[in-house]
Amino acid sequence: MQPVTALLEGVSYVVVVRDLCSYIGILSANSSVFRPIETSAAQAGGDAAGAVADVPQQTTTMTDTAPPTASASDAADAQDATGEGTMDEGTEDALIDTDVSTDGATGEFPAETVIDTRDLSVYYGEEQALKPTTMEIPERRVTAIIGPSGCGKSTFLRSINRMNDLIDGCRVEGELNFRGKNVYDDDVDPVALRRTIGMVFQKPNPFPKSIKENVAYGLRVQDKDDNVDEKVEQALKRAALWDEVKDQLDSSGLDLSGGQQQRLCIARAIAPDPEVILMDEPASALDPVATSKVEDLITELAEDYTVVVVTHNMQQAARISDRTAVFLTGGELVEFDDTQQIFENPADDRVEDYITGKFG
Amino acid sequence: MARKDYQQKLDDLRDDVLYMSELVLERLRDGLDALDRKNEDLARDVIEGDHEINQLYLDLEQDCIDLLALQQPVAGDLRFIASSFKIITDLERIGDLATNLAGYAEDAEQDRYPDVDIQSIGDQVIQMVEDTMTAFAEEDVDACREISARDDDIDALCERASQTVVRDLIEREVGTDADSDEIETLLQDVSRLLLTIRDLERVGDHAVNIAARTLYMVESDDELIY
Repeated sequence: MQPVTALLEGVSYVVVVRDLCSYIGILSANSSVFRPIETSAAQAGGDAAGAVADVPQQTTTMTDTAPPTASASDAADAQDATGEGTMDEGTEDALIDTDVSTDGATGEFPAETVIDTRDLSVYYGEEQALKPTTMEIPERRVTAIIGPSGCGKSTFLRSINRMNDLIDGCRVEGELNFRGKNVYDDDVDPVALRRTIGMVFQKPNPFPKSIKENVAYGLRVQDKDDNVDEKVEQALKRAALWDEVKDQLDSSGLDLSGGQQQRLCIARAIAPDPEVILMDEPASALDPVATSKVEDLITELAEDYTVVVVTHNMQQAARISDRTAVFLTGGELVEFDDTQQIFENPADDRVEDYITGKFG
Repeated sequence: MARKDYQQKLDDLRDDVLYMSELVLERLRDGLDALDRKNEDLARDVIEGDHEINQLYLDLEQDCIDLLALQQPVAGDLRFIASSFKIITDLERIGDLATNLAGYAEDAEQDRYPDVDIQSIGDQVIQMVEDTMTAFAEEDVDACREISARDDDIDALCERASQTVVRDLIEREVGTDADSDEIETLLQDVSRLLLTIRDLERVGDHAVNIAARTLYMVESDDELIY
């Protein structure tokens, strides 16, 4: 990996963390790489109420594209600031800050496509991390993204809910349409977008709060705090964790095993009822048994949600996904097809070489 | 190239399948030769040597299972291993048919039906097996399709040969007053000859199976698999 790329990778993670407040609590700060920022956040004296004290709150400095949304009122403020009206609490179309979820659609898209990109390119400064990429992600299916390190797969994933927005020097060209609406349009609130398109990360990162509060957090910041107990139970059941934790909902999420923590994070991601769940190597830190449970869960989630999962584990992609996209070095989407086709008879020789291990 | 050990195992499997086919072809030629010359020693060698082919078959089957279980092959590698798994079964069956031919050698009566040229049919099916294994080794899909088409000719040849025998049997009109030993001998000769024709025809079928799996292996095309 080139030094620049390595640097950018690091930067992106840091910025992702800094984006936390605009991201309704899917991230936590229990990873050591986040510590410096936690410190600065504490020093900044952000909203440190309750057990979220160690969650970085400094996104008040991030005023360019993602408004601070540590709370629902902040989110509402952000929407007001755009002059596009306020988001009704009961509105299901929370992607954007107005009622333009589909009204703003500019093009046709196949009925089953929920996300489609057209010549989507991402640059980090001068370096092009993602070459013009055009692909259609089907609704309520599992789409896997595989490829070697530095191939742009995580960049692509993070582009979907604009997690790359706050990376200095990051520039996005082309279109990324969610239900036909370009999420990079000016009238799209990235915070609202991330409620609709949730994310689960490689390392399980529950808050240092109770199991129940971990799941309820996303609901509370959205003022969706009616029937919280019921919604928490529902999310934990959907995350296949309920039976294991139902008698200890008030104990810390950090006391759970790694696999349980990751399912707790998935429960937290689905509690606000998103439409799409992005997963960045969700099982790479888990043992085989926990991995199997997460894989089973992903398959079940696809009945209700669209799942896009980045994985280094090709067999995992083969096991759980309906469609597989193969990115190769240089940020190029080389092949995107039914998973069976990719793993039995890929069209591109480079894909064949990569998945059979002849690459590199 | 990455995964050297894995690549070596794939190369070994390919070599072993080809080695098995050479062994089977040798037995097939010997079986046909034993039949032609009524050579009982050669016939015995073929029959007793079948266990060697069977053991090789089991070993290669295990190699395929090991590769599937331990290496998680995909794409072209997966098709190669899956095809090899099927092809060794066909080769093992051809080996069994070679022992059948050897088994017929002892009592075979060639002269009763001079119009039925077992050796010619045998040479043609052996050529089919040779060609199909060459197609496998060279990943020659055109040859696979040609071999499949050639099997129609073999089938027609075998059908004509069978009809020749049966027609003669009918025309001979052996009455119930015929000598019972004569009837018994005739029955055995006819049965044996029909079985020989059937076995050779089946060798051709196995050659087509191998061609079909080779086509799938190379192009992921199941056109010839049925």
